[in-house]
Amino acid sequence: MSAATMDAAPQRRRPRREIREITLLVVTVAIILGVGIVKPGFMHYDNLEFMVLSAVVLGLIAIGQTFVIMTSGIDLSVSAVMGLSAVVFGLASTTVHLPLAAALPLCLILGTALGSVNGVLVAWVRIPPIIATLGTYSLFGGLTFIVSNGTQVDQVSNQFARFGNGDLIPHLPVPTPVLALAAVALLAWFVLNHMIFGRNILAIGNNASAAYNAGIPVKRTLLFVYMIAGALASFGGLVFVAYTGSATATTGTGDHVELQSIAIALIGGTLISGGRGNLAGTVIGSVFLSVVITALVFLHVPAIWYSAGEGLMILAAVTLGAKRGAAR
Amino acid sequence: MNRFLPRHAWDRTLAIILIALLVAFCTLIPGFYAGFGGTLAITDQFLPFGFVAIGLAVVILTGGIDLSVGAIASLSAVIMAILTKSGGLDIWLAAVLALIIGAILGWLNGIVITSLRVEPLIATLATSFIYTSVATALAGASPPYGFGKPFGVLGNGTIALVLPVQLLMFIGIAIGFSILITRTGFGRRIVMVGYNRDAAHYAGVAVPGLLRKVYAISGFMAAFAGIVLASYYDAVRPDMGNILLLTAITMVVLGGVSIFGGEGGILGVTLGVLILGVLRQGMLIAGFSDMVTTMLTGAILLVSIAAKNLLSDRGFGYGALLLRLINSRKQEATPPNT
Repeated sequence: MSAATMDAAPQRRRPRREIREITLLVVTVAIILGVGIVKPGFMHYDNLEFMVLSAVVLGLIAIGQTFVIMTSGIDLSVSAVMGLSAVVFGLASTTVHLPLAAALPLCLILGTALGSVNGVLVAWVRIPPIIATLGTYSLFGGLTFIVSNGTQVDQVSNQFARFGNGDLIPHLPVPTPVLALAAVALLAWFVLNHMIFGRNILAIGNNASAAYNAGIPVKRTLLFVYMIAGALASFGGLVFVAYTGSATATTGTGDHVELQSIAIALIGGTLISGGRGNLAGTVIGSVFLSVVITALVFLHVPAIWYSAGEGLMILAAVTLGAKRGAAR
Repeated sequence: MNRFLPRHAWDRTLAIILIALLVAFCTLIPGFYAGFGGTLAITDQFLPFGFVAIGLAVVILTGGIDLSVGAIASLSAVIMAILTKSGGLDIWLAAVLALIIGAILGWLNGIVITSLRVEPLIATLATSFIYTSVATALAGASPPYGFGKPFGVLGNGTIALVLPVQLLMFIGIAIGFSILITRTGFGRRIVMVGYNRDAAHYAGVAVPGLLRKVYAISGFMAAFAGIVLASYYDAVRPDMGNILLLTAITMVVLGGVSIFGGEGGILGVTLGVLILGVLRQGMLIAGFSDMVTTMLTGAILLVSIAAKNLLSDRGFGYGALLLRLINSRKQEATPPNT
């Protein structure tokens, strides 16, 4: 690649990325206003809060997924990790009265441990990410069934519910999970753009063997990336059980959260072939997806068409994004 | 390509595992050996996975993937049921139409992949969502059931009292696909595209056209599996194909087909189908729950690739080292004159 094209690429890319984010925001606001006019209940505070909270869960998981996709990998097991975490900590909060202060670090540890399984399989055993995480998807999913043993979480302790729905700062009507997502997104942005680790992720996604030859610790970086994806998926599960108060053995896997998180990352402008990611797009994309799904509910579109809508959205997002980078 | 793993070594390993598995299950699990015909009848329960796996193997040989096979199986079966129940068509004619529809759905996948230049993983993920929605919408609240006894032969029937129809069809299809892949120009081009797409392109292979045909084949086989399932259960459901995907991918990969394409054959996939199928049914007969068997399928998926990487010099270092050690020992042990 000549110096001229390398110089030109970032200049051409930058405005494109912002256009995608602005377009997503405008479309999201337009949907909210449009549906709000037809169905006033859509603009009600409770519904807006519901949409934002479900966007938080999706957003947390999708940020992890974005990191993985940036290394040109994919993590299908995030939904199983989310479900396992939701069931484990939901049950722990009701049965053994696990305090939230203990549940938070434990949930991150659980997610990191499960993610490290993926990381080892991908980086050291060299199993292609799609196969490795498809395998752990069924392993973790089965584990959820074994842990829950047929029971389900119907209710969580008040402490959990306050974390899920309450506001951290008095007189500021922002639910705690939203602040958590903001903190995670900022941290992720910092890691990606201002730390060597983040640059290594992009380098691996662009060309893993070139990154290896340049002295980047490819295996360790991949391991950390899958750990991050696991930890965020687990945290997403905790937030989910905290704000909904319920979880079953099919939480996460039943709604195909793994596919939704991939869709969000792609809608947000992350390249499936790796090497380029868009965290802001992922965050906005999660709000967009949450709003679209809720809007379909409000408009009384039969539930059977939701997945078709998601499929069309993925195709639209990918074909619009891939127009320039036509390489396979 | 691989000095330490001679050609067919993986196939031979699989054959030995299959025989060992059958012997072990017949002796250890009470009820597994139920006479010659009884044991063969077990294949009826897993061969729909095998039909999908053979079509999927062709796609994976090109370096692609088809996540929509389950959705295509469901949608084709639902369409067949509606054509015969509401449309009044003869069931066999409806089944043939459903096969054609399956091929068209697969061909649409190919169009999305080649014309819109979407990655196969994402393209088939998206179309699987769409096909599932259409299947659910068409099936409605009470999906059709009861297709008559003659049609049930496809899924449950036997020829000469002991040979299951499904098994005979599977063997025929496996032989046909094996000839297609190894003995025809089309088959060699499929492997070539998977081995090196650019080289195939420069060698004059019309890659997009070939890929569209390959995805049509996968859709056709998925529809075939859906029809066999409909015959087996004598009913259709819009989610009946969902279970097919993970197991079928595992069978293909266990059969020695590289997920990156260009490596592997139908013989291996056939053995992979039989091993995983026998193992799953054996576990179920032995009283393990469906969830445990699914977990086991996932574990086998991981272990089989890890084992292949262990045996390959490209992969995991220790395994190659071990094999190199064994090989060097052998060379020392044989006198140079003989």
